[in-house]
Amino acid sequence: MSFPELKERHVAATAKVNSLREQLKQRRHQLLDTDVAKYAKSQGRTAVNFSSTDLVCSRTLQGHTGKVYSLDWTPEKNRIVSASQDGRLIIWNALTSQKTHAIKLPCAWVMTCAFAPNGNSVACGGLDSACSIFNLNSQVDRDGNIPVSRVLTGHKGYVSSCQYVPGQDTRLITSSGDQTCVLWDVTTGQRISIFGGEFPSGHTSDVLSVSINTSNSNMFVSGSCDATARLWDARIASRAIRTYHGHQGDVNAVKFFPDGQRFGTGSDDGTCMLFDMRTGHQLQVYSQQLDNSDQDAPIVTSIAFSISGRLLFAGYSNGDCYVWDTLLAEVVLNLGKLQTSHEGRISCLGLSDDGSALCTGSWDKNLKIWAFGGHRKVI
Amino acid sequence: MLVNEAQAAAASDQQSPLLSDTRGKHRILAEVKRLEQEARSLEEELEELDRMEKVSSTLEEFLLQVESKPDPLLPETRGPTNSSWEIWFEGPQEMQGCRCWIL
Repeated sequence: MSFPELKERHVAATAKVNSLREQLKQRRHQLLDTDVAKYAKSQGRTAVNFSSTDLVCSRTLQGHTGKVYSLDWTPEKNRIVSASQDGRLIIWNALTSQKTHAIKLPCAWVMTCAFAPNGNSVACGGLDSACSIFNLNSQVDRDGNIPVSRVLTGHKGYVSSCQYVPGQDTRLITSSGDQTCVLWDVTTGQRISIFGGEFPSGHTSDVLSVSINTSNSNMFVSGSCDATARLWDARIASRAIRTYHGHQGDVNAVKFFPDGQRFGTGSDDGTCMLFDMRTGHQLQVYSQQLDNSDQDAPIVTSIAFSISGRLLFAGYSNGDCYVWDTLLAEVVLNLGKLQTSHEGRISCLGLSDDGSALCTGSWDKNLKIWAFGGHRKVI
Repeated sequence: MLVNEAQAAAASDQQSPLLSDTRGKHRILAEVKRLEQEARSLEEELEELDRMEKVSSTLEEFLLQVESKPDPLLPETRGPTNSSWEIWFEGPQEMQGCRCWIL
């Protein structure tokens, strides 16, 4: 094929893709006959009614000497691992506030951490473009440090997020600034699958977050600087199952809804969204109304759902931590405006396994545990 | 002299454009293939949307499902409750807890 013919084919293909994208956008819009909040209101639902003393900070975990960037709970025994700008991981007993381990990292530029399902190992990653695994039962070296037991290398960019596959201590998924996600075998250190990159339908910019479906651990979603979230089947690396459009900025956080049929996103555009995984429908937008429209909305850094999904916790860059009623799309509490709040940006959030506590991590160097301390009415 | 230079440049241009053309062609061909594959995916998705139900059809089930699950962080929730929900308020409630600094 001659150069001019090839260029013509390129122009035609670009025009076709743009036209199809526009048609898809229109068609999706026609299917959005309502959203969750409008429907819930039409069915007579009212917002969750918190009094200001209902969600209390019952623990403050102090010990990091730098901003907290990431945290993860164990499935049991209420332990938390946190990663900080101080170049350390700390393992906490959340109930007693005691530190059980402090791990000085070979690379101080850590961005993410995760607990293995059995609670015996932790993983972390960051600007070293690798994911390091530490076995908490190993003997400390002569400096009193836990040695690295495995390094997962292969990414060509920073590791932004990592999560163990639920129930599997040997499988981990990472997201990276190299535009890919990778499924790893932790025992061999090998990459099992690469999602995106050379294959079409991958992200076209840095991937910032990942969330694995607890109801079906073959499925996971990723969020990216390309303003989309994508759904992947871990068994099919060649293409994303679906791409979710809607955000106007980086998708910093993705989290599956407890039922595994939907997932939430948080973005640089200041909004959170709820998507239906199967259909791709945008079910709800969670957006703050700003008094001064010239202001830039604070960005959403992190999200988590309560165990029923009724509450969406969202951390913002201005220190707010909104508690959204997921069904009514109303802010029912702001954990960032209480007396016991963090003094800086909330960078990470996570719910305990039984849903009884929320842990928040902040640039103020602390972690806080929040639980319901009010009068509970059981229906 | 200018004409000679021009002739020399024209002669050398005849060889290097072939090389850069080949590289350029490969790049554009790869991009074209990617776009055509994306077009096929988008067409599949459009066909899928033609058969898809509207948002409202799934919401009744969604609401009932969320409201039926016990949730320890809600002021009003379905049971059963669990005694583990209260552990955060048992024993000494230390707002500050362990304060040792890692050096």
